[in-house]
Amino acid sequence: MNNIRNFCIIAHVDHGKSTLADRLLHLTGTVPERDTTEQILDSMDLEREKGVTIKASAVRMNYTAADGQTYELNLIDTPGHVDFGYEVSRALAACEGAILVVDATQGIEAQTLANLYQALEADLTIVPVINKIDLVTARPDEVAEDIASLLGVPPESILRVSAKTGENVAAVLEAVVARVPPPKGDAEAPLRALVFDSHYDSYKGVVAYVRVVEGRLAAADDIRMMSTGAAVKPIEVGIFAPMMKPVAALSAGEVGYIATGLKSVRDARVGDTITSAARPAAAPLPGYRHPKPMVFAGIYPAEADDYQDLREALEKLQLNDASLYFEPETSQALGYGFRAGFLGLFHMEIIQERIEREYDLDVVFTAPTVAYEVLLRDGTTRIVDTPADLPDEGEIEEIREPWMTIEIITPTEFYGPIMELATKRRGIFKGPQYPAPHRVQLNFEIPLSEIIVDFFDELKSRTRGYASLDYQFLEYRPDKLQKLEILVNGEPVDALAAIVHTKDAYHKGQRMITKLKELIPRQLFEVAIQASSGGRVISRANVKPLRKDVLAKCYGGDITRKKKLLEKQKRGKKRMKMVGNVEIPQDAFMAVLKLEEE
Amino acid sequence: MNYSLYLHIPFCVRRCAYCDFNTYAGQEALIPDYVEALRREIEAVARAAPGRLTVHTIFFGGGTPSLLSPRHFERILTALQSHFSILPEAEISLEANPGTVTLASLRDLRALGFNRISYGVQSFHPEELRQLERIHNPLDVFDAVRWARRAGFENLNLDLIYGLPEQSLDRWTATLRWALSFAPEHLSLYALTIESGAPFGRWTARGLLPLPDPDLAAEMYTQAGERLGVNGYEQYEISNWARPGFQCRHNLQYWRNRPYLGFGAGAHGYAGKMRVANALRIRSYIERCKSPASLPFPLSPASVHKRVISRRVEMQETMMTGLRLTREGVSAREFARRFGVQVTDVFGAEIEKLLGLGLLEWAQEKDDRILRLTPSARLLGNQVFLHFVD
Repeated sequence: MNNIRNFCIIAHVDHGKSTLADRLLHLTGTVPERDTTEQILDSMDLEREKGVTIKASAVRMNYTAADGQTYELNLIDTPGHVDFGYEVSRALAACEGAILVVDATQGIEAQTLANLYQALEADLTIVPVINKIDLVTARPDEVAEDIASLLGVPPESILRVSAKTGENVAAVLEAVVARVPPPKGDAEAPLRALVFDSHYDSYKGVVAYVRVVEGRLAAADDIRMMSTGAAVKPIEVGIFAPMMKPVAALSAGEVGYIATGLKSVRDARVGDTITSAARPAAAPLPGYRHPKPMVFAGIYPAEADDYQDLREALEKLQLNDASLYFEPETSQALGYGFRAGFLGLFHMEIIQERIEREYDLDVVFTAPTVAYEVLLRDGTTRIVDTPADLPDEGEIEEIREPWMTIEIITPTEFYGPIMELATKRRGIFKGPQYPAPHRVQLNFEIPLSEIIVDFFDELKSRTRGYASLDYQFLEYRPDKLQKLEILVNGEPVDALAAIVHTKDAYHKGQRMITKLKELIPRQLFEVAIQASSGGRVISRANVKPLRKDVLAKCYGGDITRKKKLLEKQKRGKKRMKMVGNVEIPQDAFMAVLKLEEE
Repeated sequence: MNYSLYLHIPFCVRRCAYCDFNTYAGQEALIPDYVEALRREIEAVARAAPGRLTVHTIFFGGGTPSLLSPRHFERILTALQSHFSILPEAEISLEANPGTVTLASLRDLRALGFNRISYGVQSFHPEELRQLERIHNPLDVFDAVRWARRAGFENLNLDLIYGLPEQSLDRWTATLRWALSFAPEHLSLYALTIESGAPFGRWTARGLLPLPDPDLAAEMYTQAGERLGVNGYEQYEISNWARPGFQCRHNLQYWRNRPYLGFGAGAHGYAGKMRVANALRIRSYIERCKSPASLPFPLSPASVHKRVISRRVEMQETMMTGLRLTREGVSAREFARRFGVQVTDVFGAEIEKLLGLGLLEWAQEKDDRILRLTPSARLLGNQVFLHFVD
């Protein structure tokens, strides 16, 4: 056990985590040197191409150090997106050390800090590394000063490397061996293994990535999931080298996998503890949490015929993503689809992209919303994550919405624009911190609903891309909230309903109407669009009837070309959604996402 | 079954700013070879035809057919006469640009058998002609019409374009009045279509030119229709008006979905349950026509596309083209005679829906029933036609 080192790499997106990981794999001979741009830890595309899963989020490397001894180094990957804070915390819990990678040109950013604080909370030994020293814009001395003051370590102890060129990367391995402590844990105690990640394999079922904290896990042993009590007969126990490689057993301190044969990753959730069925542990490892969706949206097939394909795509995505939640939903405007819950906006974007790219489905996502707690006059509380389902105003005592704490790290010059952005969105300023010279961390409390629609884009544009953001759930708070409805020729469009703050109802309604007037094409009759809130119409516009839609000429007998145009027009019409007898293009359902700030 | 022949003459002195037809400027040196290629193609197609075909209309379109000399036309017409049975009363049309004709050339053309001229006038406003990048001025039209009459042409058409960017209703009315003052037998009024492949398309995309206002264009169309009616013209197609007896028989062939052969670069043909199209570029057309290959009718060595038309598609296309005919429409009796099935049995649901939307109407014509666009639907044709495509 003394020769085992379990560590992860924490870094802001683009600071070079994957490139560094690749270098380490090459240096240790775990993966033969080849095209260094092919990053092993981000291997989604690769997986698909090969049709097998080689998701290498826990690779074992054997390394012979300068002291002549051979070490077992387990590199554990952490998800890069802020929505996956909980998953990150479980990955950290499987380690004793963390390499903190900071870009020599960018310096410390919000996500780096958030992960670093988590790593420190998890009692990990930090090995700070400044990357990208080969770039001409690198300012390693400055960044070293910042890190030194942050961690309270001498600046000289901070390694300076270029993962791209390979410069000084060997020193990183030596530092891991020298500074990261070996794991502790009683190999004779009853088995307790932490699940820190998982994937679904069509042959082996759910493959749980585990860190054995105590005890020993042999391939033949029956095991039990401690959160559900489910008994499992493992198909295989092994390590990632980096491909899955069966071993006879995993002992305390070791990292590897258990192929469980389970059919869904929900049955082997991240954070759960696996124990032995024959000699179960008394208590699970601390910190298990059931992931809770925070952001909700309707997902509908662009063409009704694709409903079954969409269901299958979501089911397949869920096999590998325990935090994706969905259930069937029917919208009068959009037809049959699903209500889906996500950990956050980034998570939603990832799912949207995967549905479109990997499953080649054309889908309509409705505007994202949060889950509101609605206290009714009769004393009951209801959770509303579909705005159209909000009960009548008369029945409502109080509406509560989720609030978040957010930390924004930015060069000090953008202090003002960020304050303006956050306070405009009901953010409450909790004060600044100065993690490094010329950098300020602005802390706010802000309703989640205010940051799920283009907050991040807006933040990036106001700070020329320099600001970074991290957020966590805080609590539910009551506020003056009301339903904003859009009516088309008098009929409310369920998929366009929103829950908004009273003070924003008028403006949002107006902007929605302006946008919809642009997006709804002229029809054979006049179309009235209205925004209504609090029982009255707050904005209206008319789309004039279509007067001219005909090809003037059918030239030289070229009927084929004319037909192609008509066929295209017909396809476009078919993709429209009907509300009453009004055709509404799918873009319109995303309109609320595209309301520009005046 | 009478056939129609279309001959494409793709040469132009200059390309107009709104035009995305298959035309080329500055390639006039190829005209002699092109005329030769046309002769070869005519011969190749006619030889493969099931017997000697009877022809009742011939149309030279472009491009600018009037760039060819009367001698060129003579060669082409001789080829046509030796391979087809051209009816004595056949309509033989020439598209011409004012400014490319002379009294002498028109006399020669008339002597060769041409009996209809269609002038691309477009506008009588000098500024609009400049905007369209036409090569003629309003005075050229005056000469072109006068000379045509003097040469003995008794069937003249003027093409006009409305709905230009920034065109006012008044300017359009002025153009229309000028056109009427020449007392043409036929008038085609085309709404400007912004084609992405033409300079107008690029200019509007880049914001250099405003897009025409569709409501104003609709108003222009409605007012023009009224004015032409008062002046004794009958509308017979969405964009076409004629004095009684002067409907363009060649274009009627397309709209009645009857067979025609297309010769020349990029020309389209429809015969033998097949739609075919030729190579677009002049040089490749000329090269292809040198091939001695004998292909099944109506293909020619220049054909690059062919599509076999199923009975179902033929029925759809008959609706799509026939409903462009605003008076004649689609005759229930003719449809049943042609396809052996009632139009209401094939397209019952579509027709019901369109009747309900007020876009189509039934008209009683002696013992026949005719399905046609309602007057207000004439500018909404696409909303009707798209029910007859898949």
